[in-house]
Amino acid sequence: MDVNAFLDGFGLVTEPQNLLYCLIGVLIGMLIGVLPGLGPAATIAILLPITYSIDPVSAIIMLAGIYYGAQYGGTITSVLLRLPGEASSVVTVFDGFALAKQGKAGTALGIAAIGSFVGATVSILGLTLVAPLIAGWALNFGDPEYAALALLGVLLVATIGNGNKLKAMIAAAFGLLLATIGRDSFSGAERFTFGSLQLTEGIDFVVVAMGLFGVGEILYNLEERHGKPHVPAAVANIWPSRKDLKQSSGAIGRGSVIGFVLGVLPGGGAVMSSLAAYATEKRISKHPERFGRGAIEGVAAPETANNAAATSSFIPLLTLGIPANASMAMLFGALLILGISPGPQLVEERPDLFWGVINSMYIGNLILLVLSIPLVGIFVRILRVRPAILAPITALITILGVYTINNSTFDIFVMIVFGLIGYLMKKVGFEPGPMVLAFVLGSIVEDGVRRSMLIFDGDPTGFFTRPISGTILAAFVLVALWPAAKAMLGRRKAATVAEAPAERDNVDTPTR
Amino acid sequence: MRTTTHLLAATAGVAALALSACGVSNTTGGSGDGEEYPAGNVEMYVGASAGGSSDLISRAVSKGLSDELGASFPVINQEGANGALAANKVAKAEADGQTIAIQNASLFAITPLAVSADEATDLGDFDVVQGVSRDDYVMVTGPKSGFKTLDDIKAAKKKVTYGTTGVGTGAQLSCGLTYGSAGVDAEAVPFDGGAPALTAVLGNQVDTACIQVGEAIENIESGKLTPLSVFGPERVDYLPDVPTAKEQGLDVEVAQYRFMTVPKGTPDNVKDAIAEAMQATFKTEEYQAFNKQNSLTPMEISGDEVVTQLEADKKRFADLVEQYGLNLGAS
Repeated sequence: MDVNAFLDGFGLVTEPQNLLYCLIGVLIGMLIGVLPGLGPAATIAILLPITYSIDPVSAIIMLAGIYYGAQYGGTITSVLLRLPGEASSVVTVFDGFALAKQGKAGTALGIAAIGSFVGATVSILGLTLVAPLIAGWALNFGDPEYAALALLGVLLVATIGNGNKLKAMIAAAFGLLLATIGRDSFSGAERFTFGSLQLTEGIDFVVVAMGLFGVGEILYNLEERHGKPHVPAAVANIWPSRKDLKQSSGAIGRGSVIGFVLGVLPGGGAVMSSLAAYATEKRISKHPERFGRGAIEGVAAPETANNAAATSSFIPLLTLGIPANASMAMLFGALLILGISPGPQLVEERPDLFWGVINSMYIGNLILLVLSIPLVGIFVRILRVRPAILAPITALITILGVYTINNSTFDIFVMIVFGLIGYLMKKVGFEPGPMVLAFVLGSIVEDGVRRSMLIFDGDPTGFFTRPISGTILAAFVLVALWPAAKAMLGRRKAATVAEAPAERDNVDTPTR
Repeated sequence: MRTTTHLLAATAGVAALALSACGVSNTTGGSGDGEEYPAGNVEMYVGASAGGSSDLISRAVSKGLSDELGASFPVINQEGANGALAANKVAKAEADGQTIAIQNASLFAITPLAVSADEATDLGDFDVVQGVSRDDYVMVTGPKSGFKTLDDIKAAKKKVTYGTTGVGTGAQLSCGLTYGSAGVDAEAVPFDGGAPALTAVLGNQVDTACIQVGEAIENIESGKLTPLSVFGPERVDYLPDVPTAKEQGLDVEVAQYRFMTVPKGTPDNVKDAIAEAMQATFKTEEYQAFNKQNSLTPMEISGDEVVTQLEADKKRFADLVEQYGLNLGAS
């Protein structure tokens, strides 16, 4: 690493003009993050014409700010309204919404903001120090590795739920089935499209998630609260207590590392990272039964991980010229328009831009943290709004959000159908989480396996002989057999387990 | 934010109008039927998501059109079915030039070879107004593959894998025809777009890949990828040392090109206004720099010439695919 270039980059960022663009970028990002649907990629596309007229470094600093700023905003709707705006915040909903219901929305959002800041900062440090190294490693990650990792993910999905394991499996299986809708990307054949051109690309994740979580929750609440007087939720404590911080510190630390490592992988890295971080916390927790009922670690871990992953997804773009997701593709396009080709030569050809953008992220994240805290106080007031007013507004947000993804009214109807499914699932005790996550992972598993088989020329032993995929598959076997092993150990430690429930009650009592 | 963009575009538009007041009177004065074009915002559909080359080209042309014609030309992304959904929007729109789209040749010439007949988009639903640019494909290989030239591949002892950007794309056709006509035992590995295909060939997951020049050029210039062949009618300006497939004795000529379409039956004065504004855009330095930066070769031919080439390509591809027994999809 060239220390002078790095310091010059810092000098560049602290110029007032660049600071201003950084602030504008993160502010816009945060606001669009709050609105589900209109994502950072679309926003960058809309703002692209502005970049013609400003300095390239300032332009990219602003556009990058939109991207990571949106990661902060996305948490807010997940926690308050049960609307995950993107796949990587689905797991945040489990404990985040539970905390909000207990009147601890402020704690959840506060911890999420702190975790996001720490995760992003750790990731930027990684980006500063080891970007080229880790980029080379990411290239060894081919389809067999993705297939193995996503398979492990599906297994984790079935275990992170809190209710009935069998019901979680059924929901996950349904999610896998949904993932097969659309044109088969290997043969061009139509699958479950019923002759509809709109279904050829499959169903968008946001449409499914908004329907199952958001609309499903609205419908359920309408029935649940009908006739009952409205009791506004207490939203007193915005700052997380020292106890909360202490409780989440481990989760934030582990989430940062998991997010950074998985985020480098182009395609699916962010989803896998939040899922893996959540599953890790639940697995190592002494009281896994708290998860899904308002465990603060359950918010801290995935939020830290997805921000760390969002930041490390800059690595493939800046060092290899590979955009890891739609927003990165948009930034790639923006760089081209500004006359800069992202790729292996970027750091030598344009050190000002490379270090300017990276260093702007240190500052951008600091701005986001400072902005988040007072905003949390404002946002949590949403929960005081009467359901009769809040529900239609939420419905409007979901409809607008879903429409903006693809300018398609068809998607709105698909979302409403999923809303009904979500409502029925909740009535009969199925959780939507496993279904949505399996839906996201399903296509990664399928594409990975089928592409691997083409590469291996039909020989499945290749999955086990490649070092990385072999290791992941070994982990898969361990995780699958873990419950059995734990049951055996459990019998021996029966005495210690007995203390657990008492402690749990302490932790779960909402502090009002 | 939308409002801001529109405001900006409108301001730019007003400025352009004021500057080119005499120029505009020429365009509309000749037609004499009193209809002003454009009447308000013109929706420009793109059959791909934001960020890809189709999207960026539409945005570059949209900016030029707003400057020339003094209205806003918002780009609307309608991703799906290789662009068939966006095509549908334009085909079904009123033929007044208020709904237009820059479309890809592959949707008309290659995709029909890969999908069922009722899904194929019909060129007869559109009037082609103006050609835009050509986007060439290049076959690349990683340093660890052991291949340096196309001849090395022809002499390969094992089955060769090749990454493509998906089913029914020019990348699939160009690589497939190369291996088919060279008689090499090869396996296609379709990826979901150019970026994952590039990742796979960089990481030596596949032996070779066919991708668009703009996506590969940085890695070619830095020596991380070896270019083996391009597939245009002549060499690509941006990769002057890379021979075409034809030069290397293979009958393969595939390129992606894009052109402006309007619904069938749009009045001639509207089509002329769009074509003239596009030609004026092509002359701007900004647009030319955009082409260069994205490794695009101008193909600014008339709409009729585009149609002739499309028909010829469609027939030629179908014949070649049959001759070499290629299976592009499940048609």
